[in-house]
Amino acid sequence: MTQTSDHHRRMSCSEDHTESVDCTVKPPVFLQIGDTKGDSARSGVCVVDVTLPYGKPINIEKITFKNYYTAYVTVRLLRRKAEKEGSTKWCTALTDLALMDNPHTDGGSQNYFSIHRRQMQVQPDHVESIRLILRQPSSAWRIFSLEDIRLFPHKELAPEKEVSDWLSDLIVVKQPPDLEGLPDPQTVSSSIQQMWALTEVMQANRTTASIGRFDVDGCYDINLLSLT
Amino acid sequence: MADKEKRRSAAVPSGMSAGKATKSDSDVEFLSQAGVGELLRGAILKMVEARSDDPIGFLADHFCNLASVTDSSPAGCGDEEQMNGGPVSACAQEQQHLNRALWHLRLAHHSQRSAFSNNVRVAYDLLNISACQRGGVRGGLYTQTLQCLCSEGGVPASTSAPLLRRLHCQDHEVVPYDVFRHGVLTCAVFSDYIRQSQKLYAEVCCPHEGPASRALCMAVLGTLKEALETSTGCEPDSIRYLEASAKISPNRLAQAMEGAQSRGPGGNMDAKEFENAAADLFITRVKVVF
Repeated sequence: MTQTSDHHRRMSCSEDHTESVDCTVKPPVFLQIGDTKGDSARSGVCVVDVTLPYGKPINIEKITFKNYYTAYVTVRLLRRKAEKEGSTKWCTALTDLALMDNPHTDGGSQNYFSIHRRQMQVQPDHVESIRLILRQPSSAWRIFSLEDIRLFPHKELAPEKEVSDWLSDLIVVKQPPDLEGLPDPQTVSSSIQQMWALTEVMQANRTTASIGRFDVDGCYDINLLSLT
Repeated sequence: MADKEKRRSAAVPSGMSAGKATKSDSDVEFLSQAGVGELLRGAILKMVEARSDDPIGFLADHFCNLASVTDSSPAGCGDEEQMNGGPVSACAQEQQHLNRALWHLRLAHHSQRSAFSNNVRVAYDLLNISACQRGGVRGGLYTQTLQCLCSEGGVPASTSAPLLRRLHCQDHEVVPYDVFRHGVLTCAVFSDYIRQSQKLYAEVCCPHEGPASRALCMAVLGTLKEALETSTGCEPDSIRYLEASAKISPNRLAQAMEGAQSRGPGGNMDAKEFENAAADLFITRVKVVF
C-alpha cells in the first residue's frame, strides 16, 4: 500500500498513464446492529460496492482512493472463472488493510492510497465487481467512507520488436556477394571488431572525477550572488 | 640502458671476488646479509606479473631500475646529474621519476586489468612525490607522461595531438588519481587502436595495387562508426553489444564493401588519411578532462 501526506496528489510517474475505467460506485451501506428501524447504533462497518459495466470485466492494475476516517478496509472481488463463460465467485483480495495508525486519532484519516495488484492475495483478473468493506471501530468517527475510488486496468507490456530485427538479420543467409578483388571480410571484420572493443573499453572506463578546472572556491555560492 | 650502467662502489663486488675460498657457512651468511633472497624474490614476482617475452631483457631492466632507485636518495646524485655534488636539480629528479613511472606503466598490458591498475598506482605515487604539496601529480608532468605513452606506443605525434588536447592538464593544475588513471588507460588503449587501424589499412588496400580505394575505406570505417553509434538508450549493455557486433559481422562487411565498389566516391585514400579518420572515431568519444 502506498500512502502520501495529506492533500498531496501522488502521480504515478513511473507507470504509464492509463485512464481509470468507468465504474459505478454504489452509496455506502452501513451495517447496523439490531432493528433497522429502531436502533440506529452504528456498528462501525460499512460496505461500498463498485461495479463495472455489464460485460466488461477488467484485470486490475491498482485501486486508488482518498480516505475519509476509515480505519481498516477489506477488498473482495467478484471474478469470472474463465474468459467469457464460467461462473463468478467472490474471493478476498486483501484483509483488514490498516489505513489509519490508530483508529481513534486522525493519522492517515484523509490520505490518498493506492492498492497495487501485487499486494493482493489473489490475481485480480476478470473482475466484474469489487466490494470494499470499511471498518472504523472508534466511536470518535461516526461517519467514515472512501472518496474518489478509481480502478486502473492492467496493461500487458508491448513486446520488444526492435531486438528481432537485427537478430533475424544474423540468421538469414543472403546470397554471398561477389568478392572479386575485395579484401577478405573475415579478417577485415576481425580487425574492426578489435577496434570497436577497444573503443568500448575506453568508454567504459570514463571517470566522473574532475580536476576542478572551472571551480572557483565559493564564489558561485547562490547566496553571495544575490548580494551583488 | 647504457647510460645507466654504473659501477657500484659498494663493498659487495670486492667481497665477492675475494670470497671464493670461504666455507659454505659464510656463503649463506653473506647471502642473507646482502638480502639477495629478497632481491631475487622481488625480481621473480615482477617477472611473473609482467610475463614479458624477453626475460633477460626484463630482468636487466628491472635491476637497472632498482639501481637507480637506491641511487637517487635525497643526499646522493642522480645518474643524469651534470654537476659534481651539490643539490640534485628538481628538473632532473623529476625526469628520473618520470622515467621510472613510465617503466612501471610499460610492465603490463592494459588488458591485464589488475596488474595494470597496480602499476598505474605505483606510477602515480612515484610522480606524486615530485609534485606539489596539494597531493596530486603536477599537470605538466601528467601531460608529459601521456605524450611519452603515446609515442612509445607507436602513435605519431600528429595523430595523438587531438587526443592529448582532450586529456591534457595545465602545469598549474593538480591531477587526482582517477583522472591520471583514466588518461593513462586511454592512451594505452589508443596506441593499440592505432596499431589495429594500421593493420586494417594494410588489409583493405590490395597488396599489388597502391593506396586503397577511397570508397572501400569509407565503407569499412562507416561500419565501425555505425557500430559505435548504436544507441546507448535504456537497453541493457548485453543487447547493445549484440546489436553493435551484428553491424560489424563479416556478412555486413562483405555487403558494405561490395556496395562501395559500385557506388562509392572515386579516388584513393592514403594510409595517413585513413589513420586520421579512424583516430577521429575514437577521439570524439573521449571525455574531455575539465
